This record gives sequence, C-alpha cells and structure tokens, in this order.
Amino acid sequence: MITFIIRRLLATVLLLIIVSMITFAIFFLLPRLAGQTSYNLAAQYVGRNPIPSQIHAMEARLGLNEPLQVQFGRFLKGIVAGETYSSGPNRVHCPAPCLGYSWRNQQPVWPLLTSNIPVTLSLAVGAAVIWLVSGVAIGVVSALRRGTIIDRLSMGTALLGVSLPIFFTGALALLLFSFHWHIFNVQYVGITQNPLLWAKNLILPWVTLAFLYSALYARLTRAGMLETMNEDYIRTARAKGLPERTVILKHGLRAALTPILTIFGLDLGLLLGGAVLTEVTFSLHGLGLFTIQAINNSDLPEIMGVVLLASFFIVIANMIVDILYAAIDPRVRLQ
Amino acid sequence: MIRRQISGLAALTAAGALALAACGGSSGGSSGTGSGSSSYNAAVSSVVNPSSAKGGTMTWDLNVTPDSTDYQNTYYAYMWDFVRLYSMPLVTYKSCPGKCGLQLVPSLATSLGTPSDGGRVWTYHLKPNVKFQNGHTVTSADVKYGVERTFAKSVLPAGPIYYQVLLQDNKYPGPYVDRAKNIMGLTSVTTPNPTTVVFHLNQPFADFNYVVAIPQSTPVEPSWDTGAHGGANFQLDPESTGPYQFQSYTLNKQLTLVPNKYWNAATDSQVKQLASKIVVNMNVNQSTVDQNLLAGYAQMDIHGLGVQAAAKDKILTSPSLKADSDNPVNGFLRFAYINTKVIPDVHCREAIEYAADKTTLQDAYGGPIVGGQIASTVMPPTVLGYKSFDLYKASSQPGGDVKDAKTQLQQCGKAGGFSFNIAYRTDTPGDPQAATALQAALKNVGINTTLQGFPTAKYYTNFAGVPAYVHSHDIGVAIGGWGADWPDGYGFLYDLSDGQTIIPAGNTNISEINDPVVNSLFNQATTTTNQSATTAIWPKIDMQIMKDAAILPIVYQKVLLYRPPNVTNVYMDDFYGMYNYAVLGLKK
Repeated sequence: MITFIIRRLLATVLLLIIVSMITFAIFFLLPRLAGQTSYNLAAQYVGRNPIPSQIHAMEARLGLNEPLQVQFGRFLKGIVAGETYSSGPNRVHCPAPCLGYSWRNQQPVWPLLTSNIPVTLSLAVGAAVIWLVSGVAIGVVSALRRGTIIDRLSMGTALLGVSLPIFFTGALALLLFSFHWHIFNVQYVGITQNPLLWAKNLILPWVTLAFLYSALYARLTRAGMLETMNEDYIRTARAKGLPERTVILKHGLRAALTPILTIFGLDLGLLLGGAVLTEVTFSLHGLGLFTIQAINNSDLPEIMGVVLLASFFIVIANMIVDILYAAIDPRVRLQ
Repeated sequence: MIRRQISGLAALTAAGALALAACGGSSGGSSGTGSGSSSYNAAVSSVVNPSSAKGGTMTWDLNVTPDSTDYQNTYYAYMWDFVRLYSMPLVTYKSCPGKCGLQLVPSLATSLGTPSDGGRVWTYHLKPNVKFQNGHTVTSADVKYGVERTFAKSVLPAGPIYYQVLLQDNKYPGPYVDRAKNIMGLTSVTTPNPTTVVFHLNQPFADFNYVVAIPQSTPVEPSWDTGAHGGANFQLDPESTGPYQFQSYTLNKQLTLVPNKYWNAATDSQVKQLASKIVVNMNVNQSTVDQNLLAGYAQMDIHGLGVQAAAKDKILTSPSLKADSDNPVNGFLRFAYINTKVIPDVHCREAIEYAADKTTLQDAYGGPIVGGQIASTVMPPTVLGYKSFDLYKASSQPGGDVKDAKTQLQQCGKAGGFSFNIAYRTDTPGDPQAATALQAALKNVGINTTLQGFPTAKYYTNFAGVPAYVHSHDIGVAIGGWGADWPDGYGFLYDLSDGQTIIPAGNTNISEINDPVVNSLFNQATTTTNQSATTAIWPKIDMQIMKDAAILPIVYQKVLLYRPPNVTNVYMDDFYGMYNYAVLGLKK
C-alpha cells in the first residue's frame, strides 16, 4: 500500500509538472509565436493610456522581458523553494509552494488561492455527502422497486435534476428560501467560527448542487443494481438462504458501487477545483469564483495557479478512489 | 489622456473663470438644496430622507472586483465616489443633488488653486489641523508624497496619469524605485511650508483644479506607505483622512469601514459620518445584489449601474418599489466612431448617420429605461455646456431615414452603397447587439458590413485604438462608450476629437478627427476670458463633430437605481452618475 501511494504521489508530481508546462506554453509561448511581445503583454497591466516608460517598468517588474525558459524556471523555483517579489517599498517573500505573483491584485498567488479553499471544500464535501447518500439510496430503492410508481417518480425527479442547470435551480432556491421566506441566508461563515451557522448558510448551495449530482448517481446506481441483481452469484446467495438485506447491501450494492466510486472521485476532484456555477450563483468566494475573476482580469499567474491546484485535487481524488477500490471490491488489489 | 498644449495666458484666464464658476452658485438645473419625499426620480434632483441620524450598520454590495481600494490607484467613477469615505483630496465635488454636484469646492485645501506664471504654477493652501487616522497632522509633504505615489505605475498601475503628463519632471520613477535616492524627489511639486503645496506644470493647464479633484491628490504619510501597509499592500489598509477607516479587508471579498475618530466634520463638510459601520460585500452576483436591495439585506449597490431586467420589471410594476427608484441619465455616452480616414467622404459618413436605426440600437443596450435615451449629440445632458440639437433626425425619425441616407450616398458617389468592417467589444454588454443592429440598418441602404469582435482588454491597445490596424483592416465603424474624467466640454470632448490626441496605440480619437475647426475651437476655449463664453464653445465643437459625421451617438446611458427606504440622504450626484456614497446614513 505504501509503495502504491508513493508511486502515485511521484506520478502526481510528474503530471503536475507536465500540466504546468502545457499551461505555461498556452499562455506565454503560443501568444509569442503569434507575434505578441512582452511589451504588448505588459501594456495590458499598466492601466489606461500608459506612457512607454511605464510599460517598460512593468515589463521589468513582472520579469516579462526575460527569456521564456527563465520565466518558467522561476515559476518552478517558486513552487519548490519560494520566491521574492517587490511590493513597491519592500521585498515580499512568498514561501513555497508559491505559484507566482498576481499581476492584477499585486499579491502572491498562493495566499490568494488558499484563502478560497475552505469555501470550496465546504461546498464540495457537504454537497458530495448529500448527493452520494441520497443518489445511491434512491438508485437502490428504484432498482428494487422497478416499474412501480416509486421507481417512476424517482427517475422522473432524477431526470429533472440532470436537466435543470444550477444557475436556474440556485436562483430559484435563493428567491424562495432566502429573499421570499427569509429562511436561509447564504453567506459563508467559517466552520471554526460557528459550525451551526456554517451548515445553515450552506444548505441551499449544498442541496442545489447535490440535486444535480444525486440525479446522475441515482440513475447510475439503479442501472448498476439492476445488472448486479441479475448475476448468478446473487441467485446463489439467495439460494444459500442469506437474508435479503445482506444480499442487497453486501453482495448487490457492493459490486454496483465500484463504477459509482470512480465517478465520485472524478466529480469530487473537479468540484474541489472550483464549483464555478454554484459559487457564482450564490456569490460564494471559492476557487470557482476566483477562477472567473482571474479569467476576467486576464491574470495569467492566477489562472495558472488555479489550473495546477485543480489538477492536484483531481489526481489526489483519483488516487484515493484507487485505494478505496481495494476495500470495496476484493477482486481489485493494489499490485 | 490629456496631452494638450495650451497657451499660458489662455490657461490663466480660463483657470480664473473656472475658479469663479466653482465658487459661484448653481450651474443650472437643481439648486441642490431641496429635499424631497420618496417618489420616482425624486433623488435625481433632491435629497430623499434627509437626516443627521447616526448609528447602525450599512451593508453595501458590489458585483465586481474594484481595480483597487487605493485612492491613488483607481480609475472607476464608483470608486472615486466611494473612496471619499476615507480620503480627502485637495479639491472635491460639491455634495448636492443633480447638476449642483458638478461644482468644484475645496476639500483639504482652503480654496481652489491659485494659478500663476501663466497657468503653469498652481498653489494650494491646506486647512490646518486636518488629521490622519493615526492622529498625525496632514502636511503639504504628505500631499506631495501622495502625488509621488502616482508615478509608481509598475506597482500602482490603475490610476490616471495626469500628473505624469502635466508636471515638469514627468520622468520621475516614483518613490519605490530607489527609495533612499528618490523619496520626496518630485521636484515639480514643492512645499514651501507645511500648509502650502505648489504644482509646477510643463504647460499651462486651465482645468488643473479638476485634476486635483481626482482622489489621487489625497495625502499619504511616507511612514504609512511601508512594511505591511506599503506599496501594493496599501490597498489593504489605505491611510484615512476621511470620515471612515478600514477595520478589515479581505481582498476582493469583504471590506469593513468604521468611523475615523480623528476626522473632523468642521474641516470636511462635503462628507458625513453617520453609520457606525459600513460593510461592503464584493463580487456578489448582480441578481443577488438586486434581490438583497429589495429584501432589505443590503442598502446600496455601489457599482451604480442599476438593476438587472428581472428586478427592473418588479420595480416598475410595483408602485411602492417604483417610488423608491430613480432612472437618471448617468453621463455616459454609447456611440459609434466613424473613421474619417477609412470613410473619407463626409457624405458617406452622413449616410451612416441617417441610415442607423436608433430604436434598435437603443434596444441593444436594454431600451429606454436601462439602456438610455436616444442621443443626437456627443455631449450628454449632464456635462457643463451641453446644448440640444439634432442634425440627423435621431429624435424625429429614430427608425432611420433611408431616403436621406440614399441621397447622401449619391452625393458621395456611391449610390449603390459601399462596404467596410465594424469593430466591437465582444465582452461589453450591449456592444455585440449594437453592432448587429447597426449592420442590419446599414444593409437597408446598401452599405454592407462585416462584424469584427475584440476583447475589451485589448480593444484600445491592440485593435480599434491602433490607427494602423484600423486602416489595414478597413474598420469604418467602431462601437464605443465614453465618460469624462471631469464634467466640462473639455473633459468630455478633448480626447475624442482633438487632432493632437491621435496616437499610434491606445488611441481614443478612433474617428481620427483632425478638423481645423475643432482644433481651433479648443484653442479658442483656452483663450476665452469668461466662463459663459467658454461654455458656449463646447456645443460648437459638439456641432462640428456631428457635421463631420465622425461620431454616431446612440444613447445617453440611463440606469434604474433602487434606494431602500431606510437609507437617508440619498441623491444622484451628476458628476459620478450615481448616488453620493459619502453622505448616506440609516433611518433610526
């Protein structure tokens, strides 16, 4: 197990380096190949109607006039050993893993990024628990009551959940529960500050996000359960006289969960990189909203930072899924 | 932006006239002293809920990220309005409703600037005993240091560059480049004593009082601009001389202001310290901002661009909500540049003016309520010197005049029409729709166009603002928007229309107007001795631009603003084009 984790972690590092190279090439190399100069690039970050000396000063301060390999090397060095930047009167040290210096906000990227992680983490994990539990439960019940009104109702709701976009369900939930009935106020409060308020203020985003995902999970679980429950070993288990509850949970659901877990890992990893629509709809200052702002501001270091962090979450989530495979499915071994 | 050469005597006399104008009473429109009960558009010309009641926490929402909370590093009207809560520039705009708010009044200075040496030297005397938030007394050296900070463009890039253009030693690198060597090294700003600051310009400049009315003239202590407070970090806790100071600020998320105990209302009469706390939530979804206002969760939307369609319908269909709203013209013009080099024949350009369907263009920006009022002049009604006229039947025949357009096409020798490209900003709301609407209207008279969209961030620096690019890509029309840095004809028209403003990149005179009549009128304005005569020149320039058919005005932008009924002292400030944030309070 330890060897497996170490091997995957090393692969993660390699993958992140490759991602950072590709991202860097997209933002810095391709525009340069298309004729963009470092002067043009600096001109976008020096305000309206700049005079040339100001653009040159910005070019020098951001290091844009250096060769690309030097810029990339400095970026990597910042991740490994930290980097020092000028804030004007002072030099500010950005400790590792420093992901560069924001050109718009004039701040090191890493602290800006990490300040958004608690919101995204709270949103993603809370919603994931709800959608996993409700989605799987609905899927199992639906499979076991195939063709009944319960099945049809469940799958109809699931279809609705998959079809309705978050910016609609979220806005509707806000309108009803926040602005009309004044039940929930969506404003993030740290879990350490007030756990109850933290949960209360996140209920609407959790439920809205979970509604979308649980629908998908219900349909997947139903399909998996229907297939599994027709397997020979289920018939054998029943023939052996095992209680139906054991047959369903231990033999049926366990096998059906394997593909669910794969998707869950990917979904959670993606969401940890920023639940963009949910965060924008509910004005939650997480990584998703941060990403939108970075893109709107053409803040390349911030965008690179988000891409790397999102890649990191996806890779880690997949590694955890691989480990959990072994626990769920005895046929899988970490060799 | 301002790169004009003005003769010395002219500047001096014009400056005197401006000073008189500012000291005088109303400049037309509202007297600014009235107060009114809540009704639709009541806050456009009167104070709604006048009150001196103190206390309470106000929550204000903002749907975007501000460029900076550093008053020396911001270039948005709503931020210039907002930073008055914690800054005290030398000069400011009078706090009163409507056009009254276009007047300049002294703030940190005892009076408006005194020009000398033909308008090249401007002297300001400071009020005594004005304090920073730490209790230190403001001196002229602090004003000078504040101006020096505006030169550090690689650290503080967002603010205007008027000082760099106008002051004598405009190569000064800013106080951070070599702090030991250059600090306080801006020789063109002198401080003969602790209460006097003198600006030495490289050219006479009549509108200099308007320049120091920009928040960049706010004093800063060099000792504050260092360490955790310094340079790029200054935005996190800018030193206050205003009624409030920062209690906390999580960058781009939430800002909390609390009263500055060293602020003295007696020396700063244009702002108020009423609420006991102001919380600003940033990057709030605009539909949530609207709902927060209507539900009473927030008391102000400080972006000042008004509510979205859903809230608009709700407000306009509810008499009680409508009574708490205003629908003013906010001083911003939506228009299309018509390039005089790509389309050199004035009759061809006039054909475009006549053919344009102003109603579909108005709809492109949201219609008459949240889009704007159909425009027939370059200057909007909120600018000093505005005069109404309509050369191309924008008001009488807003759907376009195909017959006159075809007549003009015949006169320019292209009876069958001609073709060119239309540039627009892909990510500016309304611009793509306006380009499409214009394209459709022009097609009716045989003018065939192709649309070319560009990102806003590079529109002026790389594309439409680069004359060489415009010529080589046959861009005959470029969609644009314009608001002035100060509210007179010079402030609004100069960068759009004077021949000297045409530059290779970042050009705002995209029409490339270099009309001797226009240039001469600008020169004449600076040599005119009395203000009413100067003000009479601006509509002449406006008229000449329209005769040149170099700009197609679309709408004077309007917004639908909602003011929750529990907010006091609410009124529109014509200069900022939104409510005056520096005087608001809560009902008890």
